[in-house]
Amino acid sequence: MTRVLLIDDDVELAELLKAYLEREGFEVRLAADGEQGVREALRGDCAIVILDVMMPRLNGIEVLSRIRAHSRLPVLMLTAKGDDVDRIVGLELGADDYVPKPCTPRELVARLRAILRRTQEAQNPERRRESLQAGLLQIWPTQRRVQCQGHNLELTSTEFNLLEVLVRNAGYVVSKQELSEQGLGRALTRYDRSIDVHVSSIRHKLAQVCGERTWIRTIRGLGYQFLQE
Amino acid sequence: MNLGRLFWKSFLAFWGALVLAGLAAGMMISLLNEAHTRDLQLAAGPRTAFIVNNAAATLRYGGVAALREVMREWQQERPEDVSLYVVDAQSHELLGRTLPISVLARARARARTPLNDGHPPNVREVMSTDGQRYLLFIPAEAEAAHLRARPEPLPWVPIGGGLFASLVFSALLAWYLAKPIGLLRWAFAALAEGRLDTRVQPLMGRRRDEVADLGADFDRMAQQLGRLIDAQRRLLHDVSHELRSPLARLQAAIGLLRQDLGTHVLIERIERESVRLDELVGELLTLSHLEAGTDPRAREAVDLLDLVAEIVEDARFEAQPQRRDVRFSGAAEIRVMAHVGSLYRALENVIRNAVKYTAEDSVVEVQVDYLAPTQQARIIIGDRGPGVPRADLSAIFEPFYRSANGQKAAGFGLGLAIARRAIEANGGRIRAHNRSGGGLCMEILLPGEIQRPSS
Repeated sequence: MTRVLLIDDDVELAELLKAYLEREGFEVRLAADGEQGVREALRGDCAIVILDVMMPRLNGIEVLSRIRAHSRLPVLMLTAKGDDVDRIVGLELGADDYVPKPCTPRELVARLRAILRRTQEAQNPERRRESLQAGLLQIWPTQRRVQCQGHNLELTSTEFNLLEVLVRNAGYVVSKQELSEQGLGRALTRYDRSIDVHVSSIRHKLAQVCGERTWIRTIRGLGYQFLQE
Repeated sequence: MNLGRLFWKSFLAFWGALVLAGLAAGMMISLLNEAHTRDLQLAAGPRTAFIVNNAAATLRYGGVAALREVMREWQQERPEDVSLYVVDAQSHELLGRTLPISVLARARARARTPLNDGHPPNVREVMSTDGQRYLLFIPAEAEAAHLRARPEPLPWVPIGGGLFASLVFSALLAWYLAKPIGLLRWAFAALAEGRLDTRVQPLMGRRRDEVADLGADFDRMAQQLGRLIDAQRRLLHDVSHELRSPLARLQAAIGLLRQDLGTHVLIERIERESVRLDELVGELLTLSHLEAGTDPRAREAVDLLDLVAEIVEDARFEAQPQRRDVRFSGAAEIRVMAHVGSLYRALENVIRNAVKYTAEDSVVEVQVDYLAPTQQARIIIGDRGPGVPRADLSAIFEPFYRSANGQKAAGFGLGLAIARRAIEANGGRIRAHNRSGGGLCMEILLPGEIQRPSS
């Protein structure tokens, strides 16, 4: 059974969500504050973390950066509605996706499943050796590993997914809609800039490891294009 | 600096008053001087006394003929210098010269009652050898004419200096009066634009008068207004913030209910309403976040044309089935530093609003250009809808505004309020006016820089 760690200081809500998620077939562990949340997350026996960004004392952003310092465990953020900063900072710090809170539990489960589907494909042993080559980049999709001229590129799982989609379509323009569906596992919503934030983070990391050149080009009004040469 | 009418009015008034006062004072002084000299029609002093005494001695011991001889000699040597007058009882002057009666009367009076000021007498009455009485004196005019050979020129330097000084002084005084008024005007305009942190007292310096008191009153008013509006905003924010937790629990509970009872019309309904409530809370929170100002960290370079084109594309997609269209024009590539999410929302709200109100079979025109002198990007969105009454043109940007003509629109009435806050948070401005030929036109200005001029 998939174990979910829910880090939220609203205990009543957490209990309700726990009941809901259990009926949806998840096993749920609760953490009522950030400290406890980081400890639980780093024990390594959870498949995914649902993290409330708005928490007293150790807030969600801080929890996320502590988890990311040691682990690439998938993290779904619950962000404050109307506040873009938490969301953008969260995505930059490597959260896999976000849901504005309050949200319907159905939406939460849909996002959860989308992230899990992407990450669990990696556990399929038959495809473990498969690799993709694009210019100086080599990608092992199942191992979620990227190398550039022998140097490892540290990407979060969402960044990895997006790069994989772009590389599979190297030389062609991929629309944000496609990127959202294939990379984030959900349809692009209005006002949604998360694809742009993720792509900007990938560009930054590529530039650090592979050197300054345009790897991913923005095609106005259309989407993004991965350039091999 | 723009000097207002008040400055010029008070400046001219002060200066006019000063010049008039100067003229009046000058005239008074010259009149007084004249009166003074008239009072002293007779010359005095040791030189006068000496001449008069000598002439008296000559007359007494040598007779009239001797004195006339002496005076003729003087006249031949230095004609302009013969200032001594010798007058007999019949008022005939020895050399036949004439002189004003007033001077003669003064001399006679002075001869009878000499001045007791310690000076030698300047008028003498002498009995000549022939028994006639003669009056000897020197008129002041003659003395003065002797002292200044040429007439004095007009005093241009002091007149010019006085004019200049009065000019400077009037200008300073007028400025001193007009400046705080200008300051107050600026402050009121700033307050009207919503800058509630405007204060005038620090700008007034150490001034202590009624105008400074007015400034202090203004500051108190601005502070009080700011406090009230802050309280209102905080209330809005706190209420929406506090609504979120119960809303989240409500939604989780609805989810559980669905799992237990399956789909039911009423559960669907409850869920839909809770989502609506959730959206409203979200909008309110967005508004209050924008009012608190966006985090500059979240700003990035945005290709404005790209952004607007994308929104127009979406809007057109939704407008066309309703027999409306959106047309976009603009060629200049403009980069603005903005918070993409909020800017996107703002432009989308305004464009969607235009699509919502424009008449059937009409076109919403969206135009982007660049104003080089002010380094601003301008986005103009014009619809062909009913427009807005003049008095409401700024009220449409207030939360929950409903037009007076009772049109009920979808949404919460927060779209334009959010748009304005978002544009202001990105350093821009938005205003609305009615178009000629009907419809509403929104004009958005954003600070930006041009990438490539329009081709």
